[in-house]
Amino acid sequence: MEIIRLTVNGVPHEVAVSPHDTLARVLRERLRLTGTKIGCEQGSCGACTVIINEKAVQSCITPVMRLDDANITTIEGVAQGEHLHELQRHFVEKGAIQCGYCTPGMVITALDFVSKNPNPTVKEIQESLSGNLCRCTGYKKIIEAVAAYASGKVVNTSENKYAMLGHGRPSIEAVKKVRGAADYADDIEVKHALYCVLLRSPHPHARIASINVEKALALPGVRAVITGKDLPISFGVLPISQDETAMAVEKTRYIGEAVAAVAAETEKIAREACTLIAVDYVPLRPFFDMKESCEDVGHDEKIHAHCKFNNNIQKKAELRFGNQREGLDAAAHTVKEEFHFQGVTHGFTEPHAATAWWDENGLTIITATQVPHYLHRYLAKVLEVPMNRVRVIKPYVGGGFGGKSDPFPHELIVSQLSRITGRPVKIRFSREEVFLSNHGRHPTTMTVEMGMSDDGIFEALDADVIIDGGAYGSFGVVTTYYNGVLLQAPYILQNFGFRTRRVYTNKPQCGAMRGHGAVNSRFAVETLIDRLAERINIDPCELRLKNFLSENTTTIGQYRITSNGSAECLRSVMERSDWKNKYKQLPEGEGIGVACGFFISGSALPIHWNEYPQSVVHLKVDMDGRVVVSSGASDIGQGSDTMLAIIVAETLGLSLDNIFVVAADTTLTPIDLGSYSSRVTFMAGNAAKMAAENLREKVIQAVAVIENVEQSELHLAEERIFSNNKTVNLTWFEAVERATRKVGALTVSGYYNSPKLGGDFKGAGAGLSPSYSFGAVIAQVTVDNASGQIKVTGMWGAHDVGKAINPLAVEGQLEGSWHMGLGQALSEEMKFRDGLLLNGNFIDYKIPTAKDTPLFDVSIVESADPEGPYGAKECGEGALHPVLPAVANAIYDAVGVRVTSLPITSETLLNAIKAQKQQPISSGIDQTVEEVL
Amino acid sequence: MTSEKVIHEKVYLLPSTADEAIALASKFAARSGESGNSFRFLAGGTDVMPNRFQGNDTTVHLIDLTRLHELRSITMVTTSSEDRYLRIGALETLEDTARNPLVREEFPMLAEAALSVASPLIRTSATIGGNILCENRCLFYNQSEWWRASVGYCLKCDGDICIATGGKKACFSELVSDTAPALIALDADIEWQDMMGVRRQKLEEIYTGDGATPRNLPQTALVLAIYLPLGRRFKTAFFKLRERESLDFTSLTSAVSLDATGNLKVSLAGVDPKPVVVTGHITDNKDDLIKQALRQSRAIDNDMYSRTYRREMIRVYLTKSFDKLTVYTNGYTQPI
Repeated sequence: MEIIRLTVNGVPHEVAVSPHDTLARVLRERLRLTGTKIGCEQGSCGACTVIINEKAVQSCITPVMRLDDANITTIEGVAQGEHLHELQRHFVEKGAIQCGYCTPGMVITALDFVSKNPNPTVKEIQESLSGNLCRCTGYKKIIEAVAAYASGKVVNTSENKYAMLGHGRPSIEAVKKVRGAADYADDIEVKHALYCVLLRSPHPHARIASINVEKALALPGVRAVITGKDLPISFGVLPISQDETAMAVEKTRYIGEAVAAVAAETEKIAREACTLIAVDYVPLRPFFDMKESCEDVGHDEKIHAHCKFNNNIQKKAELRFGNQREGLDAAAHTVKEEFHFQGVTHGFTEPHAATAWWDENGLTIITATQVPHYLHRYLAKVLEVPMNRVRVIKPYVGGGFGGKSDPFPHELIVSQLSRITGRPVKIRFSREEVFLSNHGRHPTTMTVEMGMSDDGIFEALDADVIIDGGAYGSFGVVTTYYNGVLLQAPYILQNFGFRTRRVYTNKPQCGAMRGHGAVNSRFAVETLIDRLAERINIDPCELRLKNFLSENTTTIGQYRITSNGSAECLRSVMERSDWKNKYKQLPEGEGIGVACGFFISGSALPIHWNEYPQSVVHLKVDMDGRVVVSSGASDIGQGSDTMLAIIVAETLGLSLDNIFVVAADTTLTPIDLGSYSSRVTFMAGNAAKMAAENLREKVIQAVAVIENVEQSELHLAEERIFSNNKTVNLTWFEAVERATRKVGALTVSGYYNSPKLGGDFKGAGAGLSPSYSFGAVIAQVTVDNASGQIKVTGMWGAHDVGKAINPLAVEGQLEGSWHMGLGQALSEEMKFRDGLLLNGNFIDYKIPTAKDTPLFDVSIVESADPEGPYGAKECGEGALHPVLPAVANAIYDAVGVRVTSLPITSETLLNAIKAQKQQPISSGIDQTVEEVL
Repeated sequence: MTSEKVIHEKVYLLPSTADEAIALASKFAARSGESGNSFRFLAGGTDVMPNRFQGNDTTVHLIDLTRLHELRSITMVTTSSEDRYLRIGALETLEDTARNPLVREEFPMLAEAALSVASPLIRTSATIGGNILCENRCLFYNQSEWWRASVGYCLKCDGDICIATGGKKACFSELVSDTAPALIALDADIEWQDMMGVRRQKLEEIYTGDGATPRNLPQTALVLAIYLPLGRRFKTAFFKLRERESLDFTSLTSAVSLDATGNLKVSLAGVDPKPVVVTGHITDNKDDLIKQALRQSRAIDNDMYSRTYRREMIRVYLTKSFDKLTVYTNGYTQPI
């Protein structure tokens, strides 16, 4: 240990450090300044950025020993006392903060940049932020905040605090996040906690002959070592695929699967202990290829014994409506194509982290999760304790996108380690471990065929899909259906069918990721539509407009369509992009493309079949007048806490000063099923609205009796309750005082149950939703023919969200979706060799930076959904769908080449260009590797 | 509480002169019979620190160079033979190098190369000396300790074979410096010092072509400066292949210069363990020059792009470069 002096945020410290410590670890672990986040520890994401001696640097790669006597500013030192720095105010005001995990680094980077470049252009701002990855915002609002600050604008705070519904406002925790004060799972220090490290399998498919943990246990400081046999009960987010255990029990099924876990006094000891565990593996034939997994394995061992036949097919789903063959035969024009998609992953900036402990209340776990409720269930199942002895708390979560929506092995493991050691146990993943956990979008191969009449009416659609599920089930059975069923809109189809097979392979498992299940098949269909348009020489926008489903109709697979803003979305982006003057008219190498999409607004059927509502919200108001909103909904940065607050405030005529949200704590809050399937605004929002209406009624009833007026005479607005003739004119506080006389605090409840929907055939439940969102995107690109390099120069998007409860948050969801879609379209892929992930880091897994992302043009379309809360519906996932095919269609317009595999890297595109010209891709010197070496 | 088990005493040293740094280094340099140095010089740290995080660098003595203020300056110097040079101290950051008016005026390609490195956050710490010495990379090497153990260690981390090529006995990790090819194309010298004294040589001479031991500098050598010849009035062309416009390491960096007498110098990084260097004249057959470059490029499939594509891009970038530069005929004082 060495003692060094650091002045941090003006405060001098003498700190004992290990000579090779990084500043990030010292700030977080020694000085407890946890506003500085760790996202990668390799200088590749920027979350840890601080200012050292007037220079922004990444503290995760800065050795602390060089900083003796240095002056350091962390995010905690940016605000002056209670007053936010003007830049922070702009971040808050512009909605530049979603999950907030990248925010401290972004603010610090921008602060340093503007101090040195007082009059930056937008391009310079994009450049300056290009070392800071954000996965939520698509960068636009961050860039706007920096530009506004640099221009010297002062944030206007004279907003109408009673303007609720439809008025964009920062999320309620934005100030806390921008100060670096919001605690994420790894920021929370539980006293006397042990540290857990997992030992992971180096084999893709192997029997575990033996595990010897004696040496590890003997290492001083090690408190417990457990293996798969200690937690043998299987689990899985879906009741129908309970195929996973916390650690490999008899065999390991992918490289990276946990086989043992150590709890020790320090992270370092735990890591060393892992190296002392001896595992004897007997390798089995591994399966990496999805087509191979469809075939009989012969005498080799299947990945899972429970597969129905002697192959690795986990699930086959097939639904047929009308007659595809007849439809295709009758169609004047048909197109058919095979498509290939690499797997992509969520890339949230906050690595998984959790701390668990046991006390008189049983187990408590604080963990970065999107689904406290499902975790609650599976902790109880796997640890064999009743649900009333388990409490799951969701702290602030640094993004999820589906990647934190399963119960995870590490959550079960730290809970068990805590039980046997009697100590709290903490875990935090490295970025590599986050990649290995995956649960991302399935690698997919599909053949899709479409038929169309001469006058441009779609006649038939048939899809044959294989999705590569990796080693375990996760949400995969749902994904299997979604790849097919979510093609039955937004266009009218009479002859529609699909077959999807989900197979196991020896790779990290795939699951739900933003736009779940329908992103890849949507790409295929929208690409084919572009080809069909060309066949009859019609504008592809016009072709889509001819075929859209109307509102208040039913699809062939018996989805009930209520509100539907498809046409309005498409017309909006056509107009805003100047489509008519660009399509087929841009110079060679430039192109413009369009695509549409739709998505569910919450799954109508719960994962676990029961008659409990899908969401319940409790409200409590006591003599202080503040309404406590209690909901199990999980805010992971998308703004659901704020959405609940706005709905309650709107309904009660209050400002947010009188609202307090308690969320996502399975003991304190009623069940909400979680943040997945774009369900939260629709379902929790409806429950909140109902609860608020109930509270309103209670207060009005009480006031009416005491003040002797008719209930119908009373109104609530601007924190007052008043009668038409103003004989009653009370403040909210006075009204609550009257309503609580003799009975004390008022508590009310609201809930949401989906209506009965859909057909009665097997599989009819897949994709059923009380409402659907619709959207359209137009992308413009420039392509370099010689290299295949692509630059997206413009993107116009429109999404029918029913009603934007908080337009600022809605824009943020749309921009973030488009950004994520762009990544899958052009640069992101999980690259494996023999089951080993080659690019499990933010250098080689290429999330678009601020320089790679265009400034999106956003249109919010409001179709006023009849059943959504105040007309609102989904906006967080469906917007992603049209991005990918719009980009590909734009590339076609630019260079006349159809690319049918994603991502369309410059290499992929150059290969396609050469293939079209029937030129080999070659440098002209065809040396083989052998010759060169 | 149990104390942590101490394996090696970790040491962090902060010398304030080059002499002191080299003296410290010589204390920890490998003796005969030892496998490697037990020290690492640390300048910006942007390359070494991620490698340490991954377990690719486990040296116990870190010798921090940030207090060697003598290595921080950009000046015009005249040698005894009256040749004029721009001397760039090894500890100049990439950001400062790129913004320096002399660099921008005389060697804009170096500024372009420096600004193409990683992200702005890296460039404010990363130094020019560190960039030319940055560790060779390979998809099968730049991985965690667990990962490398899983596949069996490769040649670059004390294994017996190259994993990327499935068993070759040589290491083909790529040189990924962006400034090195630019500097080499601009005929730069490197100046370094060790216990024996100060020495200056052509920059390209320090690279071995063996990915496992990519440089031949003496163990304790400390890079002092880069020298760029003034008065050559270079015209240049620079390209970097990467999927994103920031953050990425290079998959091919191409730097080409043409001087006033018509001499061409091509230098590539990202396609071989060492810089690929081809010299010629503006009147030479360009296709021959490209073929020479391709023959020297021992690119393998150890990058997110395939070797085929990267080799194709050598031709694309060099063709573009020559197209740009051949508007100048023999001696570009008279453009055609």
